[in-house]
Amino acid sequence: MAILCASTSTIFSSSERTSFGSLKKTIPSNQSSFLGFFPVAALSKPGSVLPTTLSFSKRDFRVCCQDLSLVPENQRWMFEESEADGPDIWNNTWYPKAKDHINTEKTWYVVDATDKILGRLASTIAVHIRGKNLATYTPSVDMGAFVIVVNAEKVAVSGKKRTQKLYRRHSGRPGGMKVETFNQLQQRIPERIIEHAVRGMLPKGRVSSLVSN
Amino acid sequence: LVDVEKNSLFASSFRGAHSRLTRTITQQRIRALVSAHQDRDMKKRDFCHLWITRINAIIRGVGVSYSYSRLIRNLYNKQLLLNHKILAQIIISNRNCLYMISNEIRK
Repeated sequence: MAILCASTSTIFSSSERTSFGSLKKTIPSNQSSFLGFFPVAALSKPGSVLPTTLSFSKRDFRVCCQDLSLVPENQRWMFEESEADGPDIWNNTWYPKAKDHINTEKTWYVVDATDKILGRLASTIAVHIRGKNLATYTPSVDMGAFVIVVNAEKVAVSGKKRTQKLYRRHSGRPGGMKVETFNQLQQRIPERIIEHAVRGMLPKGRVSSLVSN
Repeated sequence: LVDVEKNSLFASSFRGAHSRLTRTITQQRIRALVSAHQDRDMKKRDFCHLWITRINAIIRGVGVSYSYSRLIRNLYNKQLLLNHKILAQIIISNRNCLYMISNEIRK
């Protein structure tokens, strides 16, 4: 499989070898470890396990010492200068710095809730707010986007929920429980329905204050 | 250092009586070392969780009902054992590479 990956990309790189300097950013560094075996791989049959172990050991070698002087001369062109001196991305898992999750630069989504089923809508909203569809997901940090829901009073539910679904709250004092049906709540404060649904789908705990603002 | 001093040096940054009284120092030291021992294994688990969620998040965006579990099944079928879970790093550094890998695997 490693060979197949390499074959699609080596064509790309060999044709533009002369302008390699300008393309340094686009060719990913871990693919360059595959590229090193291009003359070997083109000759041998793909699908064997041996080349993959070779490239794995090469990556190990690179990980231990990102020192360019240890790389053999003919392969030095593959190692980007910036990557070798920069932060070690292969040994440390990426963690967001403070500037990666500042509130002003997050994306905002606008959702129209007319005639959408309440629970299904709420689950997709919760996924986006939590940030679970991003590569940079971190459980301790709020990396999610902001979501604006429009037309909250037109949200739909199936079955008899409109008259039978109950929303309860308790004031803390004995006998202070109050019960309302979906119908009544929708007439009173329609936003609360969606808020209630989404908040139930978001994590509780220390992260809840970050995420459900 | 004498053994007793070593003991209290270990707990020197603990709060209140846990850094002052010898009996509680030995108790708290034992508890601290136990948590350290357990958490060394939990750390490995936690990072595995993290990588899996990150990979899953991106893979679901690839196509309808394509998920982390299918990706791993395809990887094992193609014998791409090279892809350890820490290669969630590929995703955040260059995502195209991961898309290429997953497309090759799906065939």
